[in-house]
Amino acid sequence: MTPPIPPVPPAPPAPPAPPSGSSAADAEKRASFEREALVHLDSLYRVALRLTGNAAEADDLVQETMLKAYRAWHQFERGTNAKGWLLTILRHAFINEYRRRTRHPETVDIDAIEPFSVFQEVQDDDPQGTFFDRIVDDEVLRAIDTLPEQFRETVVLSDVEGLSYEEIARVLSVPVGTVKSRLFRARRLLQQKLYDYAVGMGYIKGSSK
Amino acid sequence: MNCRECKEHLYEYLDRELTPEVERDIRLHLEECPPCGEQFDFEKLFLEFLKARCRAQGAPPELKRRILNELFDE
Repeated sequence: MTPPIPPVPPAPPAPPAPPSGSSAADAEKRASFEREALVHLDSLYRVALRLTGNAAEADDLVQETMLKAYRAWHQFERGTNAKGWLLTILRHAFINEYRRRTRHPETVDIDAIEPFSVFQEVQDDDPQGTFFDRIVDDEVLRAIDTLPEQFRETVVLSDVEGLSYEEIARVLSVPVGTVKSRLFRARRLLQQKLYDYAVGMGYIKGSSK
Repeated sequence: MNCRECKEHLYEYLDRELTPEVERDIRLHLEECPPCGEQFDFEKLFLEFLKARCRAQGAPPELKRRILNELFDE
């Protein structure tokens, strides 16, 4: 007698029909976007805050940037610098939609800004600039906010976000030489503002110039 | 390299934007020229101070939720 044929196991249930708009490709897109783009949210927010000057506008600008980036995600070249790519989108959105109603772009005559070396002033009394340490976060951010826009964005991309000259040049669409000269003047100007503040607060004795 | 040439490259040096050769020339100059060395130290400390004061701020959690909602309809 032949053994009874074991019952055929029931076919696995067909996978539920994917909800409309969802697919393996979408899941992959979402995963790669979270992994490569959303991790830069803090950076985008910090830059947006310095560009717009207020939290509500920064929120909107970052949200819009992420939305645009997600729509254009297929255009992002994998393996290249996502942070720079996102910052470029953010800056374009800012220029096109926000700057008009928030801050007005100043036209800065960069050459008219005389680089002033704080080191020359303090080298005898405080050559390490320890008086800077007494200046709190908010005060530094306020000083950055008073820089002309071209200087402000360059300093933020370099000193806060750590982009290279080449990356900054790409985000701002200017030559690397321009990045260098803006960065030089922006840092000197910022130093001067913070020094003047420190003198005003009595953290350091002002020079008798 | 003299003091003037050295100072022209001050920020590029601190930002690590120079070729290894120029970087080495500057390092040698700084070792033998205390005034330039002091100024470079001052600027280096200033940039570190700047970074430390500006990095604390991050995106509010509420913003992240808003973005996830909008992108992925959560």
